[in-house]
Amino acid sequence: MLIFRSEEHIDRWCASRELTRGAAMSPEQCWQLAQAWYANVLRPDWRRKTLDEADATLASIGLTGPFWSLRA
Amino acid sequence: MEGMTTETGTETLDRDVRLYIFRQAAETAHLPRASEIAAALGRSQPEIEESIQRLAAGHALILAPGTANVWVADPFCAVPSNFRVSALGRTYWGICIWDALGIPAALHSDATVTARCGDCDQEIVLDVRDGELATGEGIVHFSVPAAKWWDNIAFT
Repeated sequence: MLIFRSEEHIDRWCASRELTRGAAMSPEQCWQLAQAWYANVLRPDWRRKTLDEADATLASIGLTGPFWSLRA
Repeated sequence: MEGMTTETGTETLDRDVRLYIFRQAAETAHLPRASEIAAALGRSQPEIEESIQRLAAGHALILAPGTANVWVADPFCAVPSNFRVSALGRTYWGICIWDALGIPAALHSDATVTARCGDCDQEIVLDVRDGELATGEGIVHFSVPAAKWWDNIAFT
């Protein structure tokens, strides 16, 4: 995932690569996601989140809907 | 012992290898090679390489394509990228903006993330101070739906 100066820059980047636009979030949401995902990565008891836990983490910061579902 | 789970030797090794890699990444901004891990943990290099392969298969880390070298121990990237993180007097790298912000999250430290706009390459700076995103310009874009992130983790 990349960061862009504005929505207009996202659209231009997608068009230049003939990519369908994905989903956007604010830097604040991305910071919340980073904390939820990585705050315990240096702990001995770290383990990968289960699908349910990962989906719940995404939902807790407002990332819901088919795009954000980890289930194929 | 009924009802208790016991960790196998392989699980213990993998836990120790993972922890060593991540703590080295955090403390030195450097991802160790298998030989360094073997020396530090008193194990053979083949044992460590097998452990690294298991950890990669379990998505606990990412190998450089075609090699047994750790490329990313999320959020820490072994090589320079467009996502530079200054924290604790060191320079770290993330493979994406999520991981770049994941570095101060993992370190529980202040940080300055210097990224570049994916479109125009202009610098974008985000500051983390006291657990908060103090300055955060720009907008983050995910190209790939979550269910497909691991199809090609280098492009999400």
